[in-house]
Amino acid sequence: MTKTNDPILLSVDGPIATLTINRPDARNAMSIEILDAFHAAIDDLQSSDAHALVITGAGRAFCAGMDLKAVLVELSGDPSIGKQLLESLAELTLKLRSLPIVTVASINGAAIGGGCGLACVCDVAVTHADAKLGFPEVDLGLCPAVIAPWVVKKLGPGVARNAMLMGGVMSGSEAHAIGLVDALANAREELPELTKQIAERLATGGAKALAATKNLLNTIDGSLDPTLVRKGAELSASVLATPEAQAALSARMNPSK
Amino acid sequence: MIECSIENKIASIALNRPDKRNAMSPEMLDELQSAIDQLPDDLRAITLTGNGKTFCAGFDLKRCAADPTGETMRSLLSGLSGIVSTLRSKPFPVILGVHGAAVAGGCALLGGADIVLADRNAKLGYPVVKIGVSPAVSAPFMLASITPGAARNRLIDTELINATRAHKIGLVHQLVDSPEHVRSKAQQIAEQLASKPTTGVRATKVWLNEIGAPMTNHAAEGLHASLALAGNDEECTRLAELWGN
Repeated sequence: MTKTNDPILLSVDGPIATLTINRPDARNAMSIEILDAFHAAIDDLQSSDAHALVITGAGRAFCAGMDLKAVLVELSGDPSIGKQLLESLAELTLKLRSLPIVTVASINGAAIGGGCGLACVCDVAVTHADAKLGFPEVDLGLCPAVIAPWVVKKLGPGVARNAMLMGGVMSGSEAHAIGLVDALANAREELPELTKQIAERLATGGAKALAATKNLLNTIDGSLDPTLVRKGAELSASVLATPEAQAALSARMNPSK
Repeated sequence: MIECSIENKIASIALNRPDKRNAMSPEMLDELQSAIDQLPDDLRAITLTGNGKTFCAGFDLKRCAADPTGETMRSLLSGLSGIVSTLRSKPFPVILGVHGAAVAGGCALLGGADIVLADRNAKLGYPVVKIGVSPAVSAPFMLASITPGAARNRLIDTELINATRAHKIGLVHQLVDSPEHVRSKAQQIAEQLASKPTTGVRATKVWLNEIGAPMTNHAAEGLHASLALAGNDEECTRLAELWGN
């Protein structure tokens, strides 16, 4: 069992497992440490008896996306971290998508960029009306290439194109209207109950039937082919390394400069 | 028949045949294709809108009816397919604003756009099977835009839908309250996109094209299927009936 200060918390309650991204002081942004622990947790779940997995974030945010401090070379001093993070995220999305347990993203707060992409990888996404979701990568000079194939599968190609090119963020209600989330709680306090209802409903289904259905959907929509997602990591890393992207990130991190 | 101006790396293209509700003639499509071909590579966005009361009523059917060989129809189908493909392949975002109506070939232009806005009451759709024309030319682009079920429904059902419904199925991305504000809203979105760092926006558009390629790679087959019917008996009879001669 995980300890309360671990980067990823994993708990099991009957047929429902819950994975919590636990870096609340950084809005659960994905660092190498978070991603490594996330990979390990999903590996552990491969042999679990759970029928459903809920993914959520500790504190106010779900996941703020990539750790911008780590990918801004003037802060980290290491230009290779961005590529490492993107490659790890790419593999994590593939692993999570093919996990033979249905997954529910319970978006308790901000789900931004890669964080919102993770939600799209899940089989079901739920949030509340005031959560903030979106793909502001283009606003920061970045390209959301790793998550784009998943966003396209979730939203449909045209709506995904609009969301990823326009950038910015939207409310939980707007996200529900465009199909980015499948169910909506009226208020943040009501999300745990809604999540519980959905997870319990999913968990009542036969585990083999759920896994077979998920696997068939993954086969039909090309989710099992890693080519695009891996190529996306390369593309995203090459855009991240450009002086233009580094300058835009620097301006975001140091608004006073 | 086409107006094109460039300012601050944003190209504004307008269909300009207002007395014909911007209906497409072969000459107009040639002009549009060549305007798009001549755009510089360092643009940041294009807007495509229509002058007059309506965005585009589709093909100039009076011209088609007057040509029983089907040659006019074939020229329009090929021209339209080329324009949609060229717009899609541009490495900068294309914003298309519909006011009034985007019917048949006019609706097909949406397949080349990244961001589509429309006035709430605009009418959109493909009533072309009524006149014996197949909208197959649009199918690959519709499938690369909306869900397969919605695309199938839109291409086969001749009913025009309003923009509010089109927004629900993802064919339109943003609604504008009145037709007069469509062009300024398109311009505003273009400026917003142009203000973002260029490399990321371009990489994102090109990458989305690559992800969507399994559908758009069928563009040639779609065109071929539409071309194969041009000038057949059914189409000629229906076009002639439409024009009462």
